[in-house]
Amino acid sequence: MKRTAIAAGWFVVLAAPLSAQAQQAGELVRFIACPVYRDTDSGRKSGCWLADDRESGIRYDVSQSPYKPDWNREVLVEGRVSADPPTPCGATVLEPVRTSRLDTPCPRHMLPAEGYAGRRYKLPRRNIDPLSVPRKVPPGPYAERTFPVYFEFGNDFLVYQYDDWLIDNAVTWIRAAHPRKLVVTGFAATDPTSVSGRTIAEPAGLAAARAASIAETLRRLLPGMIVETRAQTGALPTDEPEADGLPGQSQRRAEIRAVF
Amino acid sequence: MPTVFKSIRFHHVLPAIAVLTLALSAGARGGDAPDRWWAPGEGRVFPAELDYDNANGTLRALLVDGPMPTKGHPFFEPLGPNGRACVTCHQPADAMSLSAESARRQWERTGGKDPLFAAYDGSNCPTLPQAERASHSLLLERGLIRIERPWPVRQFNGQPVTPDFSIEVVRDPNGCNSGPRYGPAAGRISVYRRPRPVANMKYLLAVGFPYDPKQGYALPLDPDTGKPESGNLMADNRAGNLRIQMEDAAASHLQMLRRLTPEQRRQIEDFELRIFTAQQASKTGGAVNTTGARAGPARLRDSQPGALGSIGEPVWSEFTGWEKISTEEARSLTPEQLAFRQSVARGARVFREKMFLITDTAGINSRIGFGNPVRNSCVFCHNMSQMGNDVAPGQVDLGTTTLPFADPWADLPLFKVTCLKAPHPHYGRVIYTYDPGFALTSGRCADVGKITLQSMRGLSARAPYFSNGLAKDLRGIVDYYERRYSIGYTEQEKQDLVNLMSVL
Repeated sequence: MKRTAIAAGWFVVLAAPLSAQAQQAGELVRFIACPVYRDTDSGRKSGCWLADDRESGIRYDVSQSPYKPDWNREVLVEGRVSADPPTPCGATVLEPVRTSRLDTPCPRHMLPAEGYAGRRYKLPRRNIDPLSVPRKVPPGPYAERTFPVYFEFGNDFLVYQYDDWLIDNAVTWIRAAHPRKLVVTGFAATDPTSVSGRTIAEPAGLAAARAASIAETLRRLLPGMIVETRAQTGALPTDEPEADGLPGQSQRRAEIRAVF
Repeated sequence: MPTVFKSIRFHHVLPAIAVLTLALSAGARGGDAPDRWWAPGEGRVFPAELDYDNANGTLRALLVDGPMPTKGHPFFEPLGPNGRACVTCHQPADAMSLSAESARRQWERTGGKDPLFAAYDGSNCPTLPQAERASHSLLLERGLIRIERPWPVRQFNGQPVTPDFSIEVVRDPNGCNSGPRYGPAAGRISVYRRPRPVANMKYLLAVGFPYDPKQGYALPLDPDTGKPESGNLMADNRAGNLRIQMEDAAASHLQMLRRLTPEQRRQIEDFELRIFTAQQASKTGGAVNTTGARAGPARLRDSQPGALGSIGEPVWSEFTGWEKISTEEARSLTPEQLAFRQSVARGARVFREKMFLITDTAGINSRIGFGNPVRNSCVFCHNMSQMGNDVAPGQVDLGTTTLPFADPWADLPLFKVTCLKAPHPHYGRVIYTYDPGFALTSGRCADVGKITLQSMRGLSARAPYFSNGLAKDLRGIVDYYERRYSIGYTEQEKQDLVNLMSVL
């Protein structure tokens, strides 16, 4: 698996001028905002999540995040401007996008649909089959390999229809490969960064908490497997594909290393 | 309530006998028919098929490979000193749960001497005068049994759990959360809950996916089998498998001083895995497996458990056949029957399709990333085909036990929970609750008020509803959801939902 740590400097340089040019497809934006819920109704899970970048004055549609906002709390938005039209929710679409729930409170705000339809729910690509569906055994040969798992900012919670899918794939491979042990390294983005005029950083203890959380899940899925944990602060971005090209997301991870 | 006991198989009944059966169902009591209450140690034979009337129709219990003699069977025999058996609180006529109406009936029949009213947990508190009806008011009025939980929290195996919250008693109307013997300071917290149905167990034990998305981990493993646990057995998920549940119940509700033997556990588990219950017929609408409907306990018995309705057979699609009853079939029905069946079919669609905003509900809106709010319908959580419980472990806080969402109950204890680390995602640092629910198992403030979803089968036989008996009838369930989530049901939709639930 391709794993490349990206220098922190690259991330800062790339992120700094983004808001001014945010309308260009593929551009990266990162800001903090109080989320706004637009009450669209195209069936289940079809409501829109919007967030305004105060610096650029642009309203974004952040609904495609695998972990969605809480209207009582600020969110850290990280995403890339999509070329998709703003028709579903009435705002510039970010896709891929992440919205991490922060502790700072927000006034609830809900907009009516105002003619927008939202998006009809469809199962995301990263969803696992029921246990009754046999997993396809990945072909060998098997050698040392690392599987990343990703988290919300400031959180060690396993993300539904994201981490469960990543872990399910990893465990399927591990069951076939029979490594001697697993080493789970938790990472935390502890280096302070400035976002929307605020300095944010993850706590150092989160690295160990992420490792412990994933290790516990692996012990349950792979009884008898030796699972060791490590922690690393000051996480750097990587270009792992399942982080969807979002440097901030790639920093907030745990890595499952299968050792033979 | 008329009492009817029938040990005859409907599908073997000749028309003439069917007339007799109808007469019995209408309210006559057979001269030699056993009472609808199963007393411990009676030694009856549990038939393969057993019907009981209730206010909405007929509940049917099916025993796979029945009949089964109950003499000497540990589910039916009094095993402890208080004279109770498992069947005391898991009555066949009450869909293997216990209705408040049955509790009242037993009080009247026995003058309060039935083992059901044992001081330990069949009264509001053992310290109260046991001969007085008022001392058993929670059981008689809302079907609540006292549940004693250790404090600080302990796991099923006695290992301590360090809770991330403190708990104080704000109000103790019954005396079982204060004084030298009771309450947090004495290491014993009393909460009051409805007995859950011991039937259709394969669904409650079914595991659909390997993760608990509400807790953010893979499912915990059964300490006996090493397999994933469903997490759907008990209101507070304190027992992950039937062995632990049985031992918990035997030591508390039966007050057994010795442990169940392996053979007793085997017999109880064997029975619990063979018993299926559901409403078989509606008084208004008739049998639930006719004119295209495919409901009833036989369907439950014969279906594969653990399927997610959204990717397989939609929840309550058993009644899809009643959406379009042919003209020819309609002619065989009375206008009332036809209207009722159409209402049930609409109710199933409302259940699946009526969207509303779910807000501030731990287990849905946090910590899992669905968002707060999220638009969905009843089947978001009641998602298992044929049963309506949650395919994932179903610990969700609807607010039924916790302020400000819970209704005011002056006769329940009120606790003040203070989160010592992160505040609760919706209630904040301080929470007032009648029952912390799952938090008394996990030790986590974020789990305060979470109660495991349960089966929706046999509802007509076992009012009241919700873990604390908040809803006295089926309409009360709908009304609570309407109050809680401002759903905007029309009167027709409410009645359709009530009719649906009455035939499950």
